[in-house]
Amino acid sequence: MNPSPVPPVRRLPARRLWLWALLLTPVLLLVVLGVGVASCFHLGSDAWALRDGLMKSGSVEWRQKIALNANYLTVGTVRAGLSFVKLDPGARAALQSVRSAGVGVYQLPSGTPQPDRATMLDAADSAMTGCGWERVVGVMDGKDLVAIYVPGKNVSVHSLKCCVMVFNGKEMVLVSARGNPEPLVTYALKQPGFRDQARWLAQR
Amino acid sequence: MNTMIRYPLAAAVLAVGVGFNVLAGPLPGQVDFGKFTPPGDGGQFVEVQVNSNLLSLAAQVVEKQQPDAAKLLRSVQLVHVNVVGLTDGNRAELEKRVRQIRHDLDAQGWDHNVSVQGKDGQDVGIYTKTRGGEALAGLAITVIQPREQVVLINIVGDIRPEQVAALGDKLDIKPLKDVGAALKDASPKEKAPKESAPEN
Repeated sequence: MNPSPVPPVRRLPARRLWLWALLLTPVLLLVVLGVGVASCFHLGSDAWALRDGLMKSGSVEWRQKIALNANYLTVGTVRAGLSFVKLDPGARAALQSVRSAGVGVYQLPSGTPQPDRATMLDAADSAMTGCGWERVVGVMDGKDLVAIYVPGKNVSVHSLKCCVMVFNGKEMVLVSARGNPEPLVTYALKQPGFRDQARWLAQR
Repeated sequence: MNTMIRYPLAAAVLAVGVGFNVLAGPLPGQVDFGKFTPPGDGGQFVEVQVNSNLLSLAAQVVEKQQPDAAKLLRSVQLVHVNVVGLTDGNRAELEKRVRQIRHDLDAQGWDHNVSVQGKDGQDVGIYTKTRGGEALAGLAITVIQPREQVVLINIVGDIRPEQVAALGDKLDIKPLKDVGAALKDASPKEKAPKESAPEN
């Protein structure tokens, strides 16, 4: 019995491969650019989870005013670009501290009854603790509500994440940021008025 | 054979570890104030809970600039603060609850170091739980400001009064100096008989 002949492998000529690569590269670049630009107008996953929890919690129809997100690439590009510009040391320290950040602003439509702040805080807590976050600060005073969350585990000084919710009775702001607070804290501690400010804060 | 022994042994160690973890209660100087309901009508409500992860991170951040502050931060395991505004609806319940917390602290063997009854009805209680002869395992402060709010503070760790006082001196922050001095007085080595001093 003769072995069946192996069909010859047809290889694309190298020139054709180059042609395909040349054609696909701009398309891929456009897709990456599109995704990058689109991601700039969507909140990051952490802030999105917080937003989602709050939206589902009550009967309030929040109106989105703006949602911006700057990922590592965007912030890195801005930092690299601004490294040639003479900046205020405080601004430079802030820029060095932030790795990525996102912010969403939501408005309460006029005529909508005020949402219950305690319910909002509970909803935010449920959403964030479900993702492994812990609330560090919660403040309610008058119409204002502020909550600050940090991850419950794997907290690192070089990559500290935090999520902040602020509601002033009309607008709700959600902020998520990741960064290294060291440059900013070092800058603050070097300020001549730091001791006075610390004293002022301690006396409050 | 080795594997036959190793795996069950590892499982047993793990089970014991998990068991201890489950049985492990709160930290020695920790006080459970319970959950507070925010007052209605836009009343004030503040809740701060900073655990050792974040405190150690803060210590790392300030290490180079403020080594004393970093040392103090490292010695603290938990900071818990509750501020609840008093309204007609919650006043009686909250005041009763704070008095119950004080009663529980007394019953659990905490030292009641300072008790101040202010002219305006302000009622402050400072309690400490000692660790060994030189440090405090916990500090609990309860404040009732009759027409305003109740404040509950619990600091847990291995707090050395001299550290607090030294930091207050270094930064020239009077309240911190005062707290350091009060803690020094409250520390077991130098503790005087408990005083209950009405404020004049």
